Amino acid sequence: MQEKTSRFRAVDALLILMIVLPILFGIVLQIATKPPSEGIAISGARIFFTIPFFFQDIPITESQVNSWIVVVALLGLCLYLTHGIATKTKTRRQHFAEMIVEKVTNMVRGNMGEYFTGFGPFIAAILGLSAFSSLMTLVGLYPPTSDINVVAGWAILVFILITYYKLKGGILHYMKSYCEPVPLFAPMNLVSEIATPVSMAFRHYGNVLSGTVISTLVAAALQGISAMTLGWFWGQIPFLQIGIPAVLSLYFDLFSGCLQAFIFAMLTMLYVSGGFPAEQYEKRRLRRSQKKAS
Amino acid sequence: MTLEVISVNIWQILISLINLLLIFLILKKVLFKRVKKMLADRQAALDKQYADADEAKRNALENQVAWEEKIQSAHSEADRIMKEANVNAMQRSDAILAETKERADAMMRQAEAEAKLERKKATAAMQHEIVEVSTQLSEKMLGREIRTEDHRALIDSFIDEIGEDNDANG
Repeated sequence: MQEKTSRFRAVDALLILMIVLPILFGIVLQIATKPPSEGIAISGARIFFTIPFFFQDIPITESQVNSWIVVVALLGLCLYLTHGIATKTKTRRQHFAEMIVEKVTNMVRGNMGEYFTGFGPFIAAILGLSAFSSLMTLVGLYPPTSDINVVAGWAILVFILITYYKLKGGILHYMKSYCEPVPLFAPMNLVSEIATPVSMAFRHYGNVLSGTVISTLVAAALQGISAMTLGWFWGQIPFLQIGIPAVLSLYFDLFSGCLQAFIFAMLTMLYVSGGFPAEQYEKRRLRRSQKKAS
Repeated sequence: MTLEVISVNIWQILISLINLLLIFLILKKVLFKRVKKMLADRQAALDKQYADADEAKRNALENQVAWEEKIQSAHSEADRIMKEANVNAMQRSDAILAETKERADAMMRQAEAEAKLERKKATAAMQHEIVEVSTQLSEKMLGREIRTEDHRALIDSFIDEIGEDNDANG
């Protein structure tokens, strides 16, 4: 392995800064702008400022800012992992990058089939963005995934993809799929079609938000209990808040955050590949190539 | 100022959608493309090494076959030379033996001839002696001179008879 040049090290340091600085920026912004909380308050994202726009104003909220933090940090991470990538070097970061790519590619191939192998980066994007958004709670930031708008955006994109791949079998075939098993079922099929992205969005958003809600409630309850049981002096300090919220955080922030990301990615794969009419698509392709030949 | 817990805003949804697309592009262009290219390069290098190794193996096998052929021909050449040398040596020894035998035969013949001559000489000498002795004996006994020529003929015939008997016996 060749010696790392000072230039290589400098670029490395810059890339690490690119990962760390956005998160630090988020924390500083939080400290600077968050008013001291009074009692238990479960609310949505804080709005920094609002851009007037037609139809509906654009509020720039914590969820937007934190999403961008994740985007920039992920970009830095990708650049860092692939910095100095070469055929013969054997660095840990290269192994890690290879592992990510191979695992995701294999997962996509296994769940969606050979035709959808190109979906690897998209599934990795969902996994990364969702997991890191949820994990923002670990540094005390507002998780963008507990904002319905953020997750709804992803779900709508997935819905567009599902419909796009369903239409590959021909528009007539797509229309006919609504009239199954009998045309009478058309409204129900339509509802179930729309329910797909809605359920995906609500599942993800609800899980992360409920984690925050339960954590807040438990913390408040523990404060109340310690105030009641430990007397007027020691009760001022919420001793019971030591330990129990950490276990809850382990579940709601770490486990649930990663699990929901995985579930969202899994559902995306299943819906997109499940809706794709492979046989119909093959028939159409054959017919077209025959037409071209004649 | 905060949003409601559930509040839907189209632009926020759109921003989030664009964020996901952005991450998708970043992962595709930065992570997946580079890693896949590197993996393809590695595979190509590996394939090349395998091809090289196969080539080297084939060359080695060819060399081995050539060497084996050479060794085989060297063996047969050595065999041929040995056989030739054997034949030559046999021929020469035969010739030497024949010559020796001839010479020995010649020597034997000469010796035989010499022996015969000696015998003849000895026989002649003895005849002469006997004749002399008998003549003198007869002269003394008879007291007169006998004609030597007559006696000689007589005695010769006698001795010849004896000689013939001797020859027949001997």
